[in-house]
Amino acid sequence: MRDALAPVAEALSRQAENDTREIMARAEEEAAALVAAARQEARTLLADARAAGAAQAEADAVTERSHAERRARGIELAARREALDHLLTRAVAAVRTLRDDPCYPRLLDRLSALARDAGGAGMVVTEHPGGGVVAEGQGRRVDCTLDALARRAVDALGAEVERLWAS
Amino acid sequence: MTAWAPVEYTGVAELRGPLMVVQGVRDAGWDEYATIVLESGERRHGLVLDVDHDLAVVQVLEGTGGVRAEATRVTFTGSPLRIPVGTGWQGRVCNGRGRPIDGGPPIFGDESAAVAGFPMNPTLREPPAEPVITGVSAIDALTTLVRGQKMAIFAEGGLPHLGLAAQVAAQAHAGGTPFSVIFAAMGLTHADAATVRDILERRSSAAELTLLLNLACDPVIERLLTPRIALTVAEHLAFALRRHVLVVLADMTSYCEALREVSAARGEIPARRAYPGYLYSDLASIYERCGRIRGRAGSVTVLPVLSMPAGDITHPVPDLTGYITEGQILLTREAVPYPHIDPLSSLSRMMRAGVGAGRTRPEHLDLAAQIQAGLSRARQAGELAELVGESALSPADRRYLTMAEAFRTHLLAQRPDEARTLEETFERAWHVLSTLPRRDLSMLSEEALDAGYQGRT
Repeated sequence: MRDALAPVAEALSRQAENDTREIMARAEEEAAALVAAARQEARTLLADARAAGAAQAEADAVTERSHAERRARGIELAARREALDHLLTRAVAAVRTLRDDPCYPRLLDRLSALARDAGGAGMVVTEHPGGGVVAEGQGRRVDCTLDALARRAVDALGAEVERLWAS
Repeated sequence: MTAWAPVEYTGVAELRGPLMVVQGVRDAGWDEYATIVLESGERRHGLVLDVDHDLAVVQVLEGTGGVRAEATRVTFTGSPLRIPVGTGWQGRVCNGRGRPIDGGPPIFGDESAAVAGFPMNPTLREPPAEPVITGVSAIDALTTLVRGQKMAIFAEGGLPHLGLAAQVAAQAHAGGTPFSVIFAAMGLTHADAATVRDILERRSSAAELTLLLNLACDPVIERLLTPRIALTVAEHLAFALRRHVLVVLADMTSYCEALREVSAARGEIPARRAYPGYLYSDLASIYERCGRIRGRAGSVTVLPVLSMPAGDITHPVPDLTGYITEGQILLTREAVPYPHIDPLSSLSRMMRAGVGAGRTRPEHLDLAAQIQAGLSRARQAGELAELVGESALSPADRRYLTMAEAFRTHLLAQRPDEARTLEETFERAWHVLSTLPRRDLSMLSEEALDAGYQGRT
């Protein structure tokens, strides 16, 4: 009886071995595919992370550079402003020295006439302690003091002022 | 009055809100610019709103807080506001009336120009041509901005329209030719202004940009000057110094609200939604200052940005703007990823003059039309899918939905700090179209398809 079943047992055993081999081969294939996919995913993640890191570093560098440029620009503009303020201070000081000039009384006459012309009739002209004159009356005022004239002279320079900082 | 002996008026009769009534005034005119000196020596500025005999009503730009009527002096300049013009504006940050707020000296120029401007002689106008590349794919591919064009950005509430406007201002170029940007910000909150400054910082440092910042807390009358100052600076850069200039005006709705407030202060009869009846012509006097002039190399391109109150496109401001401008870019909440541009509601009427062979790419117009047609079909398919479910759609309809998704993720979606080259935009546009079968792309020539189509044939 056992002998009679031997071929069946052998066939079943062979079949089982074949199945095992097949399953193992498939499992190995699947495992290899999984490992390959995992490696690929890891490579992609790594590449993405590198790209993101590089992009972030680039963005940080751009931000840092533009902040530095803004600071530099701010310093340059502040220096220009200082140069202009300095010019105004020197212009006012220079014009004030006219008070000691022998021609100062004649200048006062000219400024008084200018103030009366501009302000119209009824203006009362008085000499200003800082130099120059002020005309007032009828709800109007004309400022022809030396300081005001110096400021207007600097204003009238317009774009010529830029020569102060032109290279 | 002479320049050396200007007359100061001391008869301030009344102070009411931002208004100052000055009496005993001779020869003052409507819209004339005035300087106000306070007792402390502080200087403020104003505009004449109304004149009656020897009375002048001056709106003080900085307000009348702290002003003592009996110790204040007002000088009239003899003309409406004029500003110096020239390259000195580039790389500067100013307030809404052109005074520097970047710590630098005042802006100087060899010439000066009235900010009210003069209408361009229509017989000397050249039609817009050649593109302005914005670096934003959805604009460059589908609604190309053309040099000399005026095109508006309309935005529903809560969308980052200022961010988009600043991104365009930061990235735009004219393909290597001299290019400048003037950004006139109107009625911005401090937070918005800081965002705009950060985005524009790099271009500003490179002295290619002028930023005029009128904040929400600044006087409304200053807001009326801001776009005009921007355009006056732009006109000189373009037509005297031969540069291509992009002027971004954001937000024009704030400007119109300021106009309404000033109009009410002047006692004018209100029209639709209390805006003055001349809102249309006032907006036209701003938008029409763009263009090109025959025989001159430069151009002024205007990009007004408007927020639509309650998302209403029929509101007077977007409505009247739409009449004047040559196209619009609509930002909606339905277009989900930034920059939220709705391609089917956006249109550049001058696109034909700015794209094609020798300008962008030979197939540009056909490519744009094909994408629009595909998105239109996808919208229909989407509406049908809402009724019957996506699984019940035909394979063809499903392909168009796939194409619309590719458009959304690949062409429309863009980071706020991402500047795309024209080549990259076209590469992405072809990628979107390649999700459709080649036989469906009937608007494109065989040569264009051979060169650009990336799908299976």
